[in-house]
Amino acid sequence: MPPLVEVSGLHFRYGKARVRGHDDAWTLRDLTLNIEGGSTLGVVGESGSGKSTLVRVLCGLLHPQQGEVRFDGRDIREWLSESQTDLRRRNQIVFQSPRRSLDPRMSIRRALGQPVRALERRVPSDTELTEWLERVGLGSEILRRYPHQLSGGQLQRVGIARAISVKPSVLYADEPVSALDVSVQAQVLNLLMDVRSQFGLTLVMVSHDLGVVSRLCEEVIVMKDGLIIEAGRTSEVLANPQTAYTESLVTAARTVSLAAPDR
Amino acid sequence: MLEIRDLSVSIGPHEIVHIDALDLPAGRRVGLVGESGSGKTMTAMSIVGLQPADAKVTGSITFEGSELLGRSETEMAKVRGGDIGLILQDPARALDPMMRIGRQVSEAIRLHMNLSRKEVVDRVLSLLAQVQLPDPEQLLRRYPHQLSGGQQQRVLIASAIACDPKLLIADEPTTALDVTVQEGILELLVQLSDERGMGVLFVSHDLGVVRFVCEEIAVVYGGRLVEVGPTTSVVRTSRHRYTESLLAANPGIAASDELEQYVGRRLDVIRGSVPALGDFPTGCRFRDRCDFASDACREPPPTMISEHGHRFRCWNPAGGDVDAAAG
Amino acid sequence: MPDDSAIQPDASLADLKRVFRAVVRLPFPLFLGAFLVLSFVFIALLSFFWTPYDPAAINVPDRLLPPGSDNYIFGTDRLGRDVVTQLMLGARNSLYVSVLSTTVAVTIGALFGLFVAGTGPRWQGPLSRIADVGLSLPGILVAFVLATKLGPGNTTATLAIIVWFIPVAARVTIGPATQVLALDYVEAAFAYGRSRRFVLMNHVLPNIGPLLIVLASVMFAAAILIEAALSFLGVGVQPPTSSWGRFLNEAQPLLEAAPYLMFFPGIAIVLTVLGFNLLGDGLRTILDPQQARTGIF
Repeated sequence: MPPLVEVSGLHFRYGKARVRGHDDAWTLRDLTLNIEGGSTLGVVGESGSGKSTLVRVLCGLLHPQQGEVRFDGRDIREWLSESQTDLRRRNQIVFQSPRRSLDPRMSIRRALGQPVRALERRVPSDTELTEWLERVGLGSEILRRYPHQLSGGQLQRVGIARAISVKPSVLYADEPVSALDVSVQAQVLNLLMDVRSQFGLTLVMVSHDLGVVSRLCEEVIVMKDGLIIEAGRTSEVLANPQTAYTESLVTAARTVSLAAPDR
Repeated sequence: MLEIRDLSVSIGPHEIVHIDALDLPAGRRVGLVGESGSGKTMTAMSIVGLQPADAKVTGSITFEGSELLGRSETEMAKVRGGDIGLILQDPARALDPMMRIGRQVSEAIRLHMNLSRKEVVDRVLSLLAQVQLPDPEQLLRRYPHQLSGGQQQRVLIASAIACDPKLLIADEPTTALDVTVQEGILELLVQLSDERGMGVLFVSHDLGVVRFVCEEIAVVYGGRLVEVGPTTSVVRTSRHRYTESLLAANPGIAASDELEQYVGRRLDVIRGSVPALGDFPTGCRFRDRCDFASDACREPPPTMISEHGHRFRCWNPAGGDVDAAAG
Repeated sequence: MPDDSAIQPDASLADLKRVFRAVVRLPFPLFLGAFLVLSFVFIALLSFFWTPYDPAAINVPDRLLPPGSDNYIFGTDRLGRDVVTQLMLGARNSLYVSVLSTTVAVTIGALFGLFVAGTGPRWQGPLSRIADVGLSLPGILVAFVLATKLGPGNTTATLAIIVWFIPVAARVTIGPATQVLALDYVEAAFAYGRSRRFVLMNHVLPNIGPLLIVLASVMFAAAILIEAALSFLGVGVQPPTSSWGRFLNEAQPLLEAAPYLMFFPGIAIVLTVLGFNLLGDGLRTILDPQQARTGIF
């Protein structure tokens, strides 16, 4: 089976600047990457590494200037021009800030139904909406509430429910738990794991937290300044980093890890 | 050096914080750990009189023998930046984008100390060097946006320690920073504290970070202290069930040889979520979320003292029963 | 066969009660604002059917009588015309011009602003400049040009104010709209396939709604005064047709002799502007889910 997502020679840059031959202007440079269907991939890096940008390019939300992105064997450009709805249906995102990912003026009922309305051109029934909420551990009384009435954890669950309502093949999660309390983080991470195995999703998670990535993701790529500097099986990469940068990341993460030995 | 007794902070009908006793000896680094809504920031702000205007504060906070609560705003303004330094969460927002670095760092100095212009400049340069910022002379004339997040935080630390405070209150100082940058800042704080004999009250939701910096940890839930003790003790042999769950919920990176077995393994979860202000249960505030709650928990638990000066309030602590504290 | 007849009257009574309770729970500013606005609208409409005195009647011997005089509650103006009648007539034009011009200008301006915000960084700059050019057009000049084509009157004044206000509304909209477009929930909407048009109308517009309401309230106040100025310059309504603004301007030279003449149209303008502002406040409150009362909505 060919990989679900294939990337080669990807270059991406924001804005309209036509900077001649300046490597620094690229947010993503010469990326090559394969994502197997059903795998869990962690995308790790610091601010400015381009990890969030990469996810948006893979979703088809941003268009690369150079290089190729293939989804399920077809070029993304082809998907976007011929079957954009299908592409969107099969790739969904969960965002970092639960409060900012839901329109404050839309009730949960309306917000939850948006993807189905847009991509399947039908209005979901209350039964369906309730079923989606139950999948993420929420009750139907949430439907008539507004975002400001829910907690961060609840909002994030709604975000996940919304994303999987169209039964995507790939779920991208951009720092899905960094804005949440510690006790709620564990709940949402477990939820992601459950949802992933239940629906056979491919999960791509961006995170700066190596601890979280080490639990959820079998594979990992490490990004720095728009490049992928290391990739491989998570336990391998973290135990035996091959680059100095990865090593510095792991060391820094270990100093504040509770599993580390006492000072 | 800092003694908090019976501190109660209320907003409207709700008592947000009630700390029976918390001590910060001179030169010691103490962590105040809790999730959002735990009241940890409110407690820290109350020490320097920065609690919200509609908050009612009672109790006693003594700093070097004199009472801090009830002082006028002018008096508190003298303490802030002078005897007690303060650094807050988001460095980008704490710095005035229109003011050059040199001026911002010197503000506290000019307010609290009587120095000539040259002396002020020298002091600023020395401070910038102490927080390990490169090229201090150049830095004086730069603007905040020209610095990285980590550099900005170092500038803020420099401002906070400018007048040699005896106590530094740091509220989530590294939460907005990358992990490698965080490491540097945390090490800097430890170093400054050791060199100057400066006490640190480190407020954070991240137990791992607090563990790295602090010699003592106080865990807060629902505005109440649930466990206080030496770091190693609290982390290795935690007693309160909340502390135990907090430790299990975010364990960080496992040891290299254990990594593989943890992939795909579910995390230990604390049931439910932090209740809204008016919705805490009577008695032990954590009992609705606790797997070990019993009937006894309907009454507020007494303070128990364990070995190693480790204090906690739990009817069913981890590690078996301990004798209740006398008095 | 169950007897339904007993149920029907109860049901409608229950409905009425529900409506009544919902209305009573509406925010107070909304009530007060609506009351003020509707009162003046009513007065304006009433003037088509009845005024205390004949609108055209000039009664010079009775000129400049103070309020409280025998037959004239609010007094008379310099031509002996009853102040109450003049106020009622003035209401027509002032309300017509200001409400119409504000509504049209804000609608067109906001839509254009949304459009510009939606074009993204590449086109936004140049398009914003177009709005800026509109801003720099001297409104008075536009008014005069229109007057030569269409003749002075309400239509000219309305059109002039509209042309003047559209760029303002557009400029005010572009910034906040751009900010909303950068938010995560907009990105999410694109991620599940919504078109830019859908996002602008269903996500951006409702979220900048409160801002537009405030803008409209402010513009409305300005429009009344601008209409007055235009009339004064001979571009708006001509005598003997009146507007509050004209009334105000004509009363100015008589400030010493008859100060009350400025007072009444002034109060009318203030109350109407206040009414619209309160209405705007109330609308913003009802439309805000974070402050919404449960009720019929």
